[in-house]
Amino acid sequence: MPRKTYSELTRRRFVTAGTVAAALGVAGCSGDGGDGDGGDGGDGGDGGDGTEAATVEVLHGWTGGDGAEAGEALVAAFEEESDVTLEFNAIGGGGNENLDAVVANRLSNNDPPGSFANWPGKNLQRYTGALGSVDDVWEEEGFADSHIQEAVDLHQQDGTFRAVPLGSHRLNNLFWNVEVVEEAGVDPSSITDMSAMVDALDAVATETNAVPMTHAMSGTWTTTQLWAAVMLGTEGVDAYTNFIEGSPDRAAVKSAFESTAEILENYISDDAASLDLTGSNNNIINGDAAFIHQGNWAAGAYGNAEGFEYEADWGAKAFPGTENMYTLHFDSFLYPGDNPTPEASKEWLRFVGSEAAQTAFNPPKGSIPTRTDVDLSEFNDYLQDAAADFEEAEHRPPTLQHGLAVVRETMNALNDVIADEFTGPYNVEAATDGFVDAVSN
Amino acid sequence: MRDILRTVRRRLTHDDPSTDGGTITEQRPSPGATQRVRDRLGDRFGSDFVESLPFWLPTFLLMGLFVYGAIIWNLLISLTDYQGFVQPDYTNLDLEMYAQAFTDSSVVSASVNTFLLLIAFTLATLAVGLGLAILVDRHIRFENTFRTIYLLPMSLSFVVTAQFWLWMYNFNNGVVNILLGVVGLGPVDWLGNQSVVLWAVVFALMWQFSGYAMVVYLAGLRAIPTEHYEAAKVDGASTLKMYWRVIVPQLKGSTISASVVLMVFALKAFDFLYSLVSGYRPPAGSDILATKMVREAYSNLNWAYGSAIAIMLFAMALSIIGPYLVYQFRRGNL
Repeated sequence: MPRKTYSELTRRRFVTAGTVAAALGVAGCSGDGGDGDGGDGGDGGDGGDGTEAATVEVLHGWTGGDGAEAGEALVAAFEEESDVTLEFNAIGGGGNENLDAVVANRLSNNDPPGSFANWPGKNLQRYTGALGSVDDVWEEEGFADSHIQEAVDLHQQDGTFRAVPLGSHRLNNLFWNVEVVEEAGVDPSSITDMSAMVDALDAVATETNAVPMTHAMSGTWTTTQLWAAVMLGTEGVDAYTNFIEGSPDRAAVKSAFESTAEILENYISDDAASLDLTGSNNNIINGDAAFIHQGNWAAGAYGNAEGFEYEADWGAKAFPGTENMYTLHFDSFLYPGDNPTPEASKEWLRFVGSEAAQTAFNPPKGSIPTRTDVDLSEFNDYLQDAAADFEEAEHRPPTLQHGLAVVRETMNALNDVIADEFTGPYNVEAATDGFVDAVSN
Repeated sequence: MRDILRTVRRRLTHDDPSTDGGTITEQRPSPGATQRVRDRLGDRFGSDFVESLPFWLPTFLLMGLFVYGAIIWNLLISLTDYQGFVQPDYTNLDLEMYAQAFTDSSVVSASVNTFLLLIAFTLATLAVGLGLAILVDRHIRFENTFRTIYLLPMSLSFVVTAQFWLWMYNFNNGVVNILLGVVGLGPVDWLGNQSVVLWAVVFALMWQFSGYAMVVYLAGLRAIPTEHYEAAKVDGASTLKMYWRVIVPQLKGSTISASVVLMVFALKAFDFLYSLVSGYRPPAGSDILATKMVREAYSNLNWAYGSAIAIMLFAMALSIIGPYLVYQFRRGNL
């Protein structure tokens, strides 16, 4: 039966092909591994013909704790104000990484949401070609008059408004546990430059069992933002501005790295490398550490801790040397061009910039309004102080780590440098070169 | 199509026309164009080709589109300069992204880490798996229970095991450092120390997959006839020598198939690293190509560059799978 043998041989060849295909399939999965599916994300409402019965889909990353509570308050306030149905979809995990990935997938697949939470400033360049204009929203609502000038500047790209701010966190903060600093005999309000800071850390180290400065290094972002605060505090606003504008003074960058290294080499905890922000905040709350540098979302964690009161148990001031500054951060909503629901999305953005939205969202979030005309009676003592500093600050430099100062790719490059050279051992020369290269035009 | 279905039905009911041609001849259509094509295909690929089409063609097309189509598209994107949300320009293709990758120090170090992880993880897992398999095969009591216990980690998701090990590697109160403390070894910063972290990850992955290697080896051991053990004993071999000289050499097939699966898993360690830090940037010193690829694509929106890294990773996977397939084909197992 020669014919049968032939057909068997052929079958074997088919099986070969099939197995090769299957094996390649396995390999192919690993090649594409982790590119997620990016969410199918609903169909974002059908058309923006009038506000009645319209729907707007909004993506954000506030999935837990203060953020989730603030998000709920925001939704409730919007539902009171508007007939538009709001699909307020949280995409959590990995900081904002999952949100960014979902937004990136949907924008590149021409399936944009009505609006999404992100950072304005230089970060807008990431979305070049994908954002629409909200000039009309800013003009009709008079946002340019009710917001600080920096907000007006940072929400534009090439002279066109692309987003609306909801709230602001401050980056240049020093928080402390009152009991620990008292035990060490340190008066935090007198710490106004880096040498006083080092002296205070030294006093904590010798006088108490607490960690002088708790620093969460499981991510690199905390170190990048600490470096930015040190840079502002020791080298001043001009050196910082030159740095972010692409003409860094190498000596200033290096000096800031030396000061940062001095803190990280001597005064942080042994487990810092695997410590995350929650753990780091708990060190302050439990009295295991004296000081921390963080954005003032940390104040939200302290406010929520039971029996841990502002001024009695924990204190806050500007990071040493930055007393006349407020390092700006914005939580904003961006407006995709080619919008599935232009009218409803703009209605949402009108609301985001309004007093109703900002007073609903910011107190639970632990941030302050970006408007200057908001009644602050709903805000706690700490936030009222922060809002006063916000209005009185002489300089409001944009945050380096949270999208405002440099484009996202530069920000990632800075974090690569921190990961490679500055997670212990602290290589000041290499880190300086890396930072200078990363921002230089 | 109706032709094909009729053929299928005929085959399914074992109604073979060749033995009983009387009535069938009426139904047989005159050799039209389709028939000629069928005949020609039959001559080329064998008589079953057309008849078997309904069974494999749909899967073949779906696989072709969603796996190979996607790979080819990915390759195409890696040749463009696609970045951000401006649509890619397919008219100007070049290898610039690959050139950039070969000179990018972070890609180079990620590749080195990927190789180290791949080799260390595979060797360690095979060694532990073999050891466990031999122990379990010694006709111990509660053999099945032990087998289940060893295999259990394999059934857990990377997300779960990453969280386990995150706690166990904790500097202050992780169980690993507590155990080391008992024997007087100072606490090690497993995930924070750049020179240790990769080996900590390898160890955790080995813990998860050695059960799988054990099962493969156990099947191999069971296939070896008892005569071989007895003959070795009769010739006066010690237990150690018996395994080393007689038994382990016969496990070549198990070793090869287990290592291929393990190596492909090693390339996919992304899930584990992602869950460990819940982000795209793994602890310093443990960056691998998969995490680098995702960071380039989704943090920097450098789609083309990310695709180029993906293709490199794909080539690595092929270089593992390819020789295995050739080996199996030569042995006539395909």
